[in-house]
Amino acid sequence: MQRDVGSLPLSPALRARLLAAGFQTAQELLETGPCGLSKEIGISREEALEALQVVRQECAGDAAKTAGGSGSTRKCTALELLEEEQTQGFIITFCSALDNILGGGVQLTKITEICGAPGVGKTQLCMQLAVDVQIPECFGGVAGEAVFIDTEGSFMVDRAADIATACVRHCQLIAEAHQEEDHLQALETFSLESILSHIYYFRCRDYIELLAQVYLLPDFLSEHSKVRLVVIDGIAFPFRHDFEDLSLRTRLLNGLAQQLIIIANDHKSAVVLTNQMTTRFGQNQSMLVPALGESWGHAATVRLIFHWDNTQRLATLYKSPSQKESTIPYNITPQGFRDVQPPPVTQNAEGTEMNPRKRPRREEEK
Amino acid sequence: MATKKLRRAKLSQELCERLSRYQITTCQDFLCLSLLELMKVTGESYRNVQKLLRKVSLACAPKMQTAYEMKVRRSINPSAAFLPTSLHSLDKVLHGGIPCGSLTELTSPPGCGKTQFCITMSVLATLPVSMGGLDGAVIYIDTESAFSAERLIEIAGNRFPTYFDSDEKLFCMTRSIHLYRELTCDSVLKRIKSLEEEIISKKIKLIIIDSVASVVRKEFDTKLQGNLAERSNFLARGASLLKYVAEEFSIPELRDHSCQRKKLFFRHKISRGQTNFSYLDESDYHIVEQWPRDPSRPSVSSS
Repeated sequence: MQRDVGSLPLSPALRARLLAAGFQTAQELLETGPCGLSKEIGISREEALEALQVVRQECAGDAAKTAGGSGSTRKCTALELLEEEQTQGFIITFCSALDNILGGGVQLTKITEICGAPGVGKTQLCMQLAVDVQIPECFGGVAGEAVFIDTEGSFMVDRAADIATACVRHCQLIAEAHQEEDHLQALETFSLESILSHIYYFRCRDYIELLAQVYLLPDFLSEHSKVRLVVIDGIAFPFRHDFEDLSLRTRLLNGLAQQLIIIANDHKSAVVLTNQMTTRFGQNQSMLVPALGESWGHAATVRLIFHWDNTQRLATLYKSPSQKESTIPYNITPQGFRDVQPPPVTQNAEGTEMNPRKRPRREEEK
Repeated sequence: MATKKLRRAKLSQELCERLSRYQITTCQDFLCLSLLELMKVTGESYRNVQKLLRKVSLACAPKMQTAYEMKVRRSINPSAAFLPTSLHSLDKVLHGGIPCGSLTELTSPPGCGKTQFCITMSVLATLPVSMGGLDGAVIYIDTESAFSAERLIEIAGNRFPTYFDSDEKLFCMTRSIHLYRELTCDSVLKRIKSLEEEIISKKIKLIIIDSVASVVRKEFDTKLQGNLAERSNFLARGASLLKYVAEEFSIPELRDHSCQRKKLFFRHKISRGQTNFSYLDESDYHIVEQWPRDPSRPSVSSS
């Protein structure tokens, strides 16, 4: 109530007028009323009413904050967070080695960045995740939908259909082995058509379309509340060419990162970005580093770097707040993103700390 | 989309006039500003500025489609999804042939047959759909002057003797292959920009650029400092234009590169036993989506 007039989110011209007229606190404004306000400052009554509504809303929001309630402050204890994290699902990648080093899979409410040279499998992993996020809960998935924002045009529907078919087949095998009621029920709705119709695809041709789409994303996610994964395939591509003003680029990227963090938290979804690699010239050698500069490295919570070692594809966990750095091999098969054969020895349930909702791993059938 | 004027984004006339005083006329200018700057230039409150942002974003944002809709659209017209190369094992590996609507890159050391492949693809594209072609015209952007019309006729006559049984048919085919000789990077880019209108007027179904590396190599020496950035700029701009055209008109596009057996710093995909270094480096490769891979290689992926 004692809030200073200069800090209210009114239009700058109106604020300047209020200050010039001598108003100091929000309380004064509310006491004056719309008619008095319009006469004193010389604005119309409708404008005065609108301004007062804004002020009232702001003060109500402030009061809630000082009273310490409501989720807008996002205050909670670490214990509550721990409980939340333990019940939260992961989006599995079908490559158990990768899931292990990630601590279970791609985490919800966090931004994961995948960097790698072209052709190493970044888009493949994104398509795999867009299918895996839809796995029903009884099979150990999060039963969500996916938003796929494509800036490079590398999304191939036929490939996504192949991956989806393999995933459905995998779940069918599990259902046959376990013969449980809810498995069979879930399988009725888990089909190729339903998977593909829950991947929402946006094709952004340049950085303006990407920015516009991310501005509109919160509204879209409120309408489609089951979305649990947002993939932006190629966050680097629209920003890497034709940008003379590098400071503008940094500002836009930071704004983008902020919005994505808010989206990830508010809608409890995972955000996956793919980045390109660029060459950094050292003294007398050159190395491949993730593109978009050093400051972009802070945007993602988890960073994976995919690279080649002769003919073997490797994934390195480069940055993670909770898992240690490690490198594992993986394969891209006609069924999608998989482990290298032979798969790692399946461990007993007691031996490893596994997510209790995860179904036990089966041997890969080719 | 970025250059869309704010007037067409359904903003009020007075607001557009006010913004034009600050030189903000397109959606691009509007979306690049921060919220505080927007409040200053529009003179609106925080809430209203957010509403305006959403309005302008709606004008620029792409349309949503589900993956299922995309699949249905492709399956309605299966012949339009791929251009078979007539090499059966290659077509099998590529899941049908060169995909329409995306960029395909062909790379090899000199003398392996890239230009021959391109000439053959041009012939195939002019064939009717019943024979596996696209029944349309071809744009051939030649930067090395390697295209030979006589060779074109030789290939057509020998490959499809029953179809090209008369001179009339041969000339009809050659009339639908439009050749452009571009010898500098600038002219290549200009040609790519003018493609949109040509495609509509001449009913183009295939675009070939032979080759990208030769113009780039002539003009950009990577040992000089600023050149790497400029070169990447040129390639990226060309690629994004080509991709837009390919998707808009559902056309396959073929780009050629030539390799050199020189040891450059960047390692390219190696085929077993040999090391081929492509002239363009790894960061340039992000631009294209797929290239025909050697069918004998163990890892097969249909990405």
